[in-house]
Amino acid sequence: MKLLIVEDEKGLRESIEEYFAEAGNICETASSFAEALAKVSLYRYDCILLDITLPGGNGIDILKTIKQKEYNDGILIISAKNSLDDRLEGLDLGADDYLVKPFHLSELRARVSAIIRRKSFNGSNILLFNEIAIDLLAKSIKVKDQAVKLTRKEYALLLYFVANKGKVVSKNAIAEHLWGDGIDMVNNFDFIYSHIKNLRKKLLEAGCNDYIHATYGMGYKFTEQ
Amino acid sequence: MKLLSKYNRVTLVTTIVVMLFTGIIYYVAIKLILVEDIDKDLAVEEHEIFEYVRINHVLPQVFESEDQQIHFEEAAPGSVKRDYLDTLFRNFPSEHHGRHHRHEVFESGRGLISSVAVGNKYYRVLIVKSTVETEDLLTIIFGITAGVILLLLLVLFMTNRLLLNRLWQPFHNLLKELRSFNLSDPNAIPQPETNIDEFKELNQAVSAMSSRVKNDYKDLKTFTENASHELLTPIAVINSKLDTLLQTEHFSDQQSKLLNDLYSAVSRLTRLNQSLLLLVKIENRLLEGHKNINLATVIDDLVIQFEEIFNDKQLNVNVELGEKELDTNPYLTDVLLNNLFSNAIRHNYQGGKINIKLRANQLVIENTGDDIALKPEQVFKRFSKSSSSEGSGLGLTISKEICENLGFELLYTFKNGLHIFTISF
Repeated sequence: MKLLIVEDEKGLRESIEEYFAEAGNICETASSFAEALAKVSLYRYDCILLDITLPGGNGIDILKTIKQKEYNDGILIISAKNSLDDRLEGLDLGADDYLVKPFHLSELRARVSAIIRRKSFNGSNILLFNEIAIDLLAKSIKVKDQAVKLTRKEYALLLYFVANKGKVVSKNAIAEHLWGDGIDMVNNFDFIYSHIKNLRKKLLEAGCNDYIHATYGMGYKFTEQ
Repeated sequence: MKLLSKYNRVTLVTTIVVMLFTGIIYYVAIKLILVEDIDKDLAVEEHEIFEYVRINHVLPQVFESEDQQIHFEEAAPGSVKRDYLDTLFRNFPSEHHGRHHRHEVFESGRGLISSVAVGNKYYRVLIVKSTVETEDLLTIIFGITAGVILLLLLVLFMTNRLLLNRLWQPFHNLLKELRSFNLSDPNAIPQPETNIDEFKELNQAVSAMSSRVKNDYKDLKTFTENASHELLTPIAVINSKLDTLLQTEHFSDQQSKLLNDLYSAVSRLTRLNQSLLLLVKIENRLLEGHKNINLATVIDDLVIQFEEIFNDKQLNVNVELGEKELDTNPYLTDVLLNNLFSNAIRHNYQGGKINIKLRANQLVIENTGDDIALKPEQVFKRFSKSSSSEGSGLGLTISKEICENLGFELLYTFKNGLHIFTISF
């Protein structure tokens, strides 16, 4: 996939670029309003990660330009502003999603994947990962054509893992993804272990390969190795 | 002491003292004039006696009269000195006056002692006039004066009361406005109508002060908001760098523990920051909009969402939901319930209890926890939290603010080992 990262904060821009950099992905970056506008008018991207507050202008104007020219790029707004109005304004103007800073890179990636999946629908709503087939509309999965019954959270977890395949995903990121804001009431995330254990067990029982690996007590990695 | 009673006290006391003083002067002056008048009459009488003696060379015959008595008495020549004196007037009222028996009545009187020589006899002459009429006159004058004084006092008292109440009305109006002064209310204090300079000045001073205070408060809030906002970017960078660092793998146990600690510290920092921003927004009334929500459904969803967390702490959750529809801000309601649930879970012990009861007019969330009641005035204060708490210390402050914002009432009580939070709609 081809991405444009519009973010003026160097540290954040580099981290995002590095996280998305892998075989088959092309990441371009822009650190100012003018640079972003120039790239947007020249090239098309699968997804644009758009910061709102930029030196030289407002990211919303870039969004407006894209929509005016009826480009079909996916747009994910990343903003420090967590107000409903900003969120609604962004989404009303045609952004696909809105992510508030600070965020986990794995969360960003899951959102980007979701946008790209929606954009490149191609009449199919099945996401394939080796022997796992995820039906995005029915929110159900099949392993080797056998239906596997997952709970709502297990399904979300699997989707999250698939979007972040090959990456170590921290327990914090998983907990925040599944439980949202409510997660700040627990002092450790050990209880997500049982969730992951259940998902893994169900997949293994359906004859799936073991893709979920614990890494150093910090998180999990969904990988073919 | 009220200004009115203080003012009344001073004016009434002064009025009474001045009135008494003038009354005394008045009385003395009238008395002096009247006595002088009587003295003149006495002198005329004396003169008549002298004339009579000079012409007739005998003492005049004495007739008893209602208001005048004359006595002659032989005396040693030259022993009598002419003098006026206050004395008693012996009155012998006639039979029909004195009813059954002749009765001597003493009245106050004024006398003149003089002397007259008839032939070679020397007489002491005492002329006494009754002053009863004078006294009566004085009494009437005194009565009228006292009546006027009383009337004056009454009128003064009443007018003071009416006038002062009327005069101070702008002050009381302003006081009422000041009492209901709300720092976060964007409206300025309305200035009560008045055409009195002092109150105009007071109004101006109050409105200048309130706008200054409001400005300072706004600056402070803007500062909090800006500071929290500025913090977001570095936190975002730290977060993303940690996620990136995680990808490099090959960590020792020690390193992974350090990373874990860093993660939880950063997420605490993130939540603290978000709470601060949220608090500013709620206080600034920046979160508007409302729609009809079914509270029972919202709570149900939340309970399902938190199921694993309840299970993790082996909490016994008891939910009794009545039907309740509210027309309110869904986002704030969500934050409110989230905060109260978090609170009930965080301060609970392993295997504890949570009761959630939704009734027509209130939502009650009870939880077990430390067996000590919290101080109700401390519970909702910012950053007031137990030392063991991992929370931001803002959760309940935010809840309280949201309740105020949405027009609910949030109360804390402690009963039978249960910490009880009650929202009254």
